[in-house]
Amino acid sequence: MRIRGDILRTYQSIHTWTGIISGLVLFIGFYAGSLTMFKTEIEYWATPPSMHLSSIPIEKFDRLIVQATSTFDKAQHGFTLNFNQKLSPMTWYQQGGGRSIHLDSTINHATLSADGELMTQLSPTNELGELIDMLHRTAGIAGKVGHEDIGVLILGIAAVLYFLALVSGVIFLLPTLVKSFFALRTNKGVNRFWLDSHNLVGIISLPFHLIIAWTVVVFAFHDIFYGGLSIIYGDKPLFEPSKKSAIEYHVKQLPPISSYIKQVNELTDGYKIDALKFSGLSSVRPMVAISIINPKEMMRSNTGDIIYMNPYTFSVQYNSASADKNDNYTPIVVSFFSLHFGSYGGNLGRWLYFVMGLLGAFIFYSGNLLWLEKRRKKQPEQSKSNRFMASLTIGICLGSILGVVSTMLSSKWLYLANMPFNKSFIICYYTVFFTALLYSFTRGAARAAIHLQQLVALACLAIPMTSLLAKLIPNLALWNSSSSSDLIIDMTAFIFSGVFFYSAQKTRQRAYEGESNSIWTLPFERIEVTAEPNL
Amino acid sequence: MTRLSALEKIQPHWWLKTSAGLILGLTLSYALIGTFAWYGPGGIDAAVKVQFNMWMISPIWLTILTFSYLFKTGLKAIIYLGSANIIAYAIFFFLRWY
Repeated sequence: MRIRGDILRTYQSIHTWTGIISGLVLFIGFYAGSLTMFKTEIEYWATPPSMHLSSIPIEKFDRLIVQATSTFDKAQHGFTLNFNQKLSPMTWYQQGGGRSIHLDSTINHATLSADGELMTQLSPTNELGELIDMLHRTAGIAGKVGHEDIGVLILGIAAVLYFLALVSGVIFLLPTLVKSFFALRTNKGVNRFWLDSHNLVGIISLPFHLIIAWTVVVFAFHDIFYGGLSIIYGDKPLFEPSKKSAIEYHVKQLPPISSYIKQVNELTDGYKIDALKFSGLSSVRPMVAISIINPKEMMRSNTGDIIYMNPYTFSVQYNSASADKNDNYTPIVVSFFSLHFGSYGGNLGRWLYFVMGLLGAFIFYSGNLLWLEKRRKKQPEQSKSNRFMASLTIGICLGSILGVVSTMLSSKWLYLANMPFNKSFIICYYTVFFTALLYSFTRGAARAAIHLQQLVALACLAIPMTSLLAKLIPNLALWNSSSSSDLIIDMTAFIFSGVFFYSAQKTRQRAYEGESNSIWTLPFERIEVTAEPNL
Repeated sequence: MTRLSALEKIQPHWWLKTSAGLILGLTLSYALIGTFAWYGPGGIDAAVKVQFNMWMISPIWLTILTFSYLFKTGLKAIIYLGSANIIAYAIFFFLRWY
């Protein structure tokens, strides 16, 4: 395909500059986003099994509710019922709660013993999953303006640049696309290989990336977009105000749990309840959020679809799995969410999103490396700005990964040491991240790239080793888990340990044996072993 | 292909084109979405349509922004996008009040 040279150059500039500005925060957003595909599993993996109380048959839920609400005042206002048998049947927050990190949230778990006695346990929540989710949404940038996270807004702006980078990248690739699409030239030097893989990954996952860019812009700026729409709508309200019920109900009037199952069966096709989240039970605005799952459907998010209704009257406020044929817009909007969260296609879909998220992170990383290569000088000493960008890229990307892996590794040991783990998670992540960044700037990108990758490999290896230790030395009081999802997390960490080890070796090779006029080169340091002169 | 002279080529004008794409692109997408909101399938009162409308603003906006750099000069970007705005809003207001 022929495109005018001036158009190509215009879009090449756009691609370069939007990419280099937004790449680093998007890198964190992407790899952390990959991990959030398994947020529930990671949280479960990081929590000792003893924290979860044993499940009970659904028929006994009514009895559990009566007993818990009559004993605990907090439970009268709201609680969660988990149909998932791995989790405690009933929980309610003693303190804190809600999305975003709450370092000192405590949660009550409740179940019934075999002879029908109420059993409860108060424990702090494990916020490891929330930490990863926070990194995914804000790239770890703290602070708020009004009720918006600054990090979310920054990622929103980055997503606008990312959209520009995607389209402009495709435009200036078009002339050579057909010829070199699947070309992965290894014989034309390291840089050609990086460029080919950057382009290949970018083109094959383009639809995914366009969707992510679009949805991130919407997630970050939906309040602003609604603000504009309210002018267009004029006197029409955008949303119907939530109905205030005329009477104040009490939890004693709560209908039996079987009636919710009946409601869900009537409202949807083939869905099963995963959890019931009651709130405001003793107020004029009572609400139950019913999480429902049907792996065959395109569900709103990774926790499934959701129905909001009044728990006493069953009047539905919102149903994302509506089977109503006249409701044209709900399925479309739900599919937008679903395309971001990868909540279609079951477990295979989740793994695909996991891989595509990591490939996305690879695109940003390789893009930065290509930028550095382009500005390379044919001399051993590279320009100051180039060295700065190289250190920043290595420090932020590898430092952030090292931070998350170290935090995951720390979780079991923190329980063992009886430390306040949620605070320690935050301290651990940011300490590791900033130390790595500092290391990258003081010791140079070439050296930091090797050492940080080796450290990530080591930390990844230590994760399954910790679990193995728990199996071999039960006296250590580390927990021994037999859950299959826990095993998969350990295995995945082991595989990534190998990947980072291999890639550290490659980087090392390049530093010592690659082109000497490069930012990645290291002066020859190895000491030659010479034969002792004969005396 | 004949070589283009310097004046025939696309001029960079980064700030003008970016501002035109960001501001006039956004107002233009509101005009299009507004027309769709009132007169598209289901009308203004269709359930959940407001969410759909909100979702569709950004893809239109970003697409306009991305292709704003194809205008030869920044001034042309403003003139063309400005005219598109005037036409789109004229249609919207005509439909709304006549």
